[in-house]
Amino acid sequence: MTSMENGSSKKLKPQAEIEIFNKGPVRIKGNFIIRDIKRDIMETISEEIYLCRCGRSKSKPYCDGSHEK
Amino acid sequence: MNNVGKFSRGRKYTNGEITVYWKPGSCIHASFCYRELIEVFDPSRRPWVNMYGATTEEIIKTVDMCPTDALTWKWNDEKRNINIDPSHTNHISFRRPELINDDTQASAEPVSVKVMPYGPLVINGTFTMKYDGKIKEVNESVVSLCRCGASNRMPFCDGNHRKTGFNDE
Repeated sequence: MTSMENGSSKKLKPQAEIEIFNKGPVRIKGNFIIRDIKRDIMETISEEIYLCRCGRSKSKPYCDGSHEK
Repeated sequence: MNNVGKFSRGRKYTNGEITVYWKPGSCIHASFCYRELIEVFDPSRRPWVNMYGATTEEIIKTVDMCPTDALTWKWNDEKRNINIDPSHTNHISFRRPELINDDTQASAEPVSVKVMPYGPLVINGTFTMKYDGKIKEVNESVVSLCRCGASNRMPFCDGNHRKTGFNDE
């Protein structure tokens, strides 16, 4: 997680961290913009968000804990 | 922290097109910024500058109203920063010439997260991804993550949402 490929002249700083939880949601934190095309939402969020990966959430695209049921 | 960069001479915020510099020590609380454009300059929020709250033109117009060098701006495309019209009083070339060669925002493009209708999450940009105990560095590239729960290539999308009839409600 420290260095990028050797010899790459373009060293970019990661802007966000995406973490996939086993049998759970995906957490996104950092510098990002979320666009939900179907629900016509575009926002920048200054905190982290948890998005549904199981397809069962009642508040898509966000996780509502339904994967545990 | 969204589209914010801390650096030695204050803070800066970008929408990809322009960068706004904030020098807290120079603020005399004349309050032009938030009276004019609370959607962008909201002292009650953190970060207090939201560069996506208005158009670039509106942000420039408001920053130019600041009576000190507390708020200044520049184009991210450096070629556009020469021969700026003096009516743009708060362009860095007039107020803070020491910032002219500041290039520390070079890679500050925010990551784009798109929620595709009845489809995956499409994530584009430069970010780290943790899954299955691994850490993957994605450098100016794109990944597509399953949102329906039916992929055989988890956590990535394999197109299965079409077969299973993913209900995106």
